[in-house]
Formats: sequence, structure tokens, C-alpha cells
Amino acid sequence: MPSQHRLTVRGTPVELQSGGSGPALLFLHGAGGAGRWLPFHDQLARRFTVYFPKHPGHGGAPAAEWIEHISDLAFHYLDLLDELKLGRVHLAGSSLGGWIAAEMATMVSHRLKSLALIAPVGIKVDGWIYPFLFAMELPQLVATVFHDQAKALALAPGDLTGIDTLAELYRERAALARVSWNPYLYNPLLRRRLGRITAPTLLCWGEHDQVSPLVCAEAWAKEIPGAELRTFAASGHLPHLEEPEAVAAAVADFCGAREVAR
Amino acid sequence: MKFYYFHLMPYPMEHDAPSSWVTLSNRHYDPEVGHALYNQYLDQFEHAERLGWDGLCVNEHHQNCYGTMPSPNLMAAMLARRTTRAKIAILGNGLPLRENPLRIAEEIAMLDVVSGGRIISGFVRGIGPEYFSTAVNPTHSRERFYEAAELIVRAWTEPGPFAFDGRFYRYPFVNPWPRPLQKPHPPIWCPSQGSSETVEWAAQRRIPYLMVFTPIKRIAQIYGEYREACERYGYQASRYQLTVNLPIVVAENDEKARTIARQTALWVYHTGLRMPLTFWLPPGYLTESSFRRSLAVPRKLPTELSFEDLEEGGYIICGSPATVRDKLRVFSDELSAGIVCSGLPAGSHAATLDMMEMFAQEVMPHFREDAGVDETAGIGR
Repeated sequence: MPSQHRLTVRGTPVELQSGGSGPALLFLHGAGGAGRWLPFHDQLARRFTVYFPKHPGHGGAPAAEWIEHISDLAFHYLDLLDELKLGRVHLAGSSLGGWIAAEMATMVSHRLKSLALIAPVGIKVDGWIYPFLFAMELPQLVATVFHDQAKALALAPGDLTGIDTLAELYRERAALARVSWNPYLYNPLLRRRLGRITAPTLLCWGEHDQVSPLVCAEAWAKEIPGAELRTFAASGHLPHLEEPEAVAAAVADFCGAREVAR
Repeated sequence: MKFYYFHLMPYPMEHDAPSSWVTLSNRHYDPEVGHALYNQYLDQFEHAERLGWDGLCVNEHHQNCYGTMPSPNLMAAMLARRTTRAKIAILGNGLPLRENPLRIAEEIAMLDVVSGGRIISGFVRGIGPEYFSTAVNPTHSRERFYEAAELIVRAWTEPGPFAFDGRFYRYPFVNPWPRPLQKPHPPIWCPSQGSSETVEWAAQRRIPYLMVFTPIKRIAQIYGEYREACERYGYQASRYQLTVNLPIVVAENDEKARTIARQTALWVYHTGLRMPLTFWLPPGYLTESSFRRSLAVPRKLPTELSFEDLEEGGYIICGSPATVRDKLRVFSDELSAGIVCSGLPAGSHAATLDMMEMFAQEVMPHFREDAGVDETAGIGR
């Protein structure tokens, strides 16, 4: 079981879970994933000390009004690494979290032992426009994000009749919209910067991803020098949730190998 | 009391889609039908001036069948040349929806000069679905609204050129030609649904507060909050700062009026305003505290309102001329509302013209204690 921490990073309150032992691995969640320590994280925690913060405004964490661009989140997590006195780390992220991780990697690649991006959004891909999830009612959202819709239960919010729960969900959507509404789910500057990433990079992708489909994976693989792409046959946009053992093994093996190599 | 003729310019159609906004395909829009509708609607406006209405109201909405006026300033431009007396109230321009709000200052000034100073300039944020249609970030809505409003008022009143450097809007040269005719500028109105931040903003600036499609109990409450805020800012709200927008259906007798309203007013609520909650409430459109307040007092969505809710709740007025007069008295005497903006959803064009005549002959004259008073003098600026 992970331990819970509350700290302040350059004036911004952070809610953080951490667990496991071994080299430090920072995991950045996607929308709806805040604070949800999953079997995926358990499995990673067998080989790494997993640090799992909530993005400000997500999962009931207090909002940070100063965060208005995706790079603000990237700097926020660089500050968190300093606050935790972590030097070089393994960095992993899913979807929005993968986008933030990629932004960080373009800034401080030398600080990363490895980078694992699980179906990140964040770049413009010719021939693809991300479906506008903000406009979707729950059934359509679930059908778009998941391959096996039953798996969505793992992310179901608690008491949907409670004012506090609804206000927290509204806060999370606002925090998400602040950085991603327009341009929707990407930073026009990121793609041409991906070539700066020197950290060994693993891309994990669900073969049935309808948010950021395989055509996006190919673009990422093309832009990040030497990136390795692994696909997962029974997953949609969240393979670490739909196939936790396989994805955790892929990430742990990839990151672990970079640990030994040094 | 002053009467303003309000039009949504709807595209009245029936459909089973979950939303009349944003996603309702425009393949349903037949431009031939639209040609007839637009011209009938404009005829109704001109008719309203002839019949004695004090003002004509247009408004901005995007990508829907509820109201087909994406550019209210265009409609105002047509009215500016085809009318001579009535105020032309644009209720309003969606300030945050514009990337270049200086264009609003320019267009309103043009209209004001052409019309001989008859323009009323409503400032609105636009409703939730507009943020999906324009892709403007709804989390910026409030701040863009305040910033654009400041820019526009300064552009109208401060001799140019000057530089404006906001968070969202930046101009090295603000210097619009023409300047508006009215001094210091055309009156500003604030059509809204009662968020406390907006009440405060309007009261502080003596800007009339227009309650749109709201039940009468809530109108009374918000008017109270508005008056209180005005007093805190050291003045008494004039009755012409308290305005209301509600549909009125008048016919020979109550039963006939109900039959018509059941068709037409209910279309507005059940079809025109049909959309999922995600469209009503884009992220960050409300502050978290406003969001919490809206949950604490559960309100029905338009589509959840029955005809009885609409009639009894005072969302609409319908009845014989005598009934309509009695119900309007509540607004004029009890709520001290000085201006009623009202559409008369009658159905066909011919029926609308008839209903307008009945209203002008049998209702309006009973509320003319303030004939000769200029409702815009010193207000909204």
C-alpha cells in the first residue's frame, strides 16, 4: 500500500502517493487517474520507488490558478523532483501525464534515466484530430476511452450525488480545460522539440486506442530518436489499466535495463 | 413601463436529436425556408416600431436552431436603416467569444452613428454551448469578459490612440473610427441569469440587469441582490436598471392563449433549449463557488419544465389581455421592473402580427404612466 504525503512545491500544495522500493520512478496520471493507485502501480513498485502525485485541481487536490499552460505543469514537476531531492529519475506518464512527461523530457532530458510514455497526447498528427472528450456524455466517453468498457469501473468516481464530489469533478475538468481546451490536447511547439530527447524512450500503445490511435504512436516514434514502440492487443487508450501486468512488465523491464546499463 | 420587442429568430423545427445546439446538423437548415423566416422576422421588428414598441432586441447565439443570429450586429444594422424611432438593443455581443473585441467597439459605434444614437449595447459571456461552437476556452470566459468590456468602454470614451495591454487582448493602437454618437457611450446592458459575480459587476457600473428566461421568484431574489449592491455603491437603482426578458402569449381568452403557448413557448424550452448538461456547463464557465451554489438550489433543466411549471413559475406570461395585464402588473408594481423585453411566439407570421396588434392595443396602453421618459438617460454608463 502506498503512503500519502502532502507537501508544498514553490507555494503550490501537492498531494502525493509513494510506494515500493528501488530507483525513483515518477508517474504522471491522465485525466481521471488522479490518486488511483492501480495494480499497474503495485507491480512497478516491486522494482521501483514509485512517486505518484495528483495534478493540481485533479482528484480533489487544490487547484493552482497559475497553471495555464502544459509547460507550467512540466515546470511544476521539475520543481517537485527538486523538492523531493531526486536527482536522475525514471519518468512515466499516461495520456495527459505522458504529454507532461514529454514536455519535461524536451527540457531536461539529461535528468531522465528513461522515459515511458503510455499513449500520450500532446502533439499534432497529420490526419488525426483528437475526439473532443469534453463534449461527451459518460457512455460515449467510456466507449471512446476503453476497449473493454467493464474496465472503466476502476476509474468510477464515488458518490455522484454529493456536492463535494461533483464540485471536485468540476474543478478537475476546469484544471484540464485550462491547459488543453484550445489547441485541444496538444502544444503546437512540442512536436518539433521531441528531437531534443536523448533519454531512452519507450512508447506503450493500445491497439484499439480511439483517442490517440496508432497513427499518433507512429508520429511519436518517428520524432523521438531511438524510441521503442510496444503495442498491446487488448487495450484502448489506457493500456496500463486494461492490461496492467503486460504494460507494467514492459515499463519495468525497459526502465530496469537502463538502470543496469549505467 | 417600457416595452421592447425581443426576437430569437428561431429555426422552428422538430427533431429527436439529444441537442439543438452545437451538434444538431446544419443539413436540417434549408436556406430557402431561412430566407422567408429572416424576412418575416425583420418585418415583425418593423411592425413593432409602428405599433409603439419602445425598443427592438436582437441577440447572439451560435450553431443551433433556437436562435439563428450568430451576428446580432448585422440584424441591428438592417433595423438601423429601416426604423427611425425605436431603440435597438443588442442583447448582446458575446464579448469573450471574440478574438478581436475592438471590432465590437467599432461595430457598435457605426450602428450608433447611423441610427442617430438609438443603440443599446448588451455585453454577455455567451451561454455554455457557445464555448464548444467557438472553441474559446471557457475557463477564460469571465476574465475575457471583464477585459473586453473595459477595452470597449475605453475605446468609446478615451481619445485615441492609446495602447491596451491585457492578459487576453493586446493592442499597440486603440483608436477606432467612428466614435459613438451617444455620450459618453451607448448604454450597456447586462443580460444574465443571476450569478452573484455578474450582479456585482453590473451594479457597480450602473448597468441595467436583464433577467433572461428566469422564474419570477428568482427574478425577485436577484433584483433584491442587485438593489442591495447598488446601495452599497452609494445609489438607488432606477427601475430602468431592472429589466426582464420573458415570452408573452396573448389571445382572446386564457384558454386560447394557453393552447398557443403550449405549442410555441414550450418549443423554446423543450426543443430550442434542449442540450446535454455537458454543453450547459463547460468546465470553468462557473467559478467553483457558483457551481456549488447552483447545486445547492436544484433547478430544473429547460426540458424538464412542464407547461404548468412555465406558467405558474412565471417563466412566461400567457392569457387574455386582462390576464396578461394582471400578470404584468406584478412585474411593474411588485418587482418595479421598468422594461419588459418580450417575444410573442404566436406560431405563423400572420398570427404573430395579429398577436402584436392585440398586445399593442389592449395591453401596452395600460402601462404608459412613464410616456415621455427616456429610459436610457443616465443609465448603463
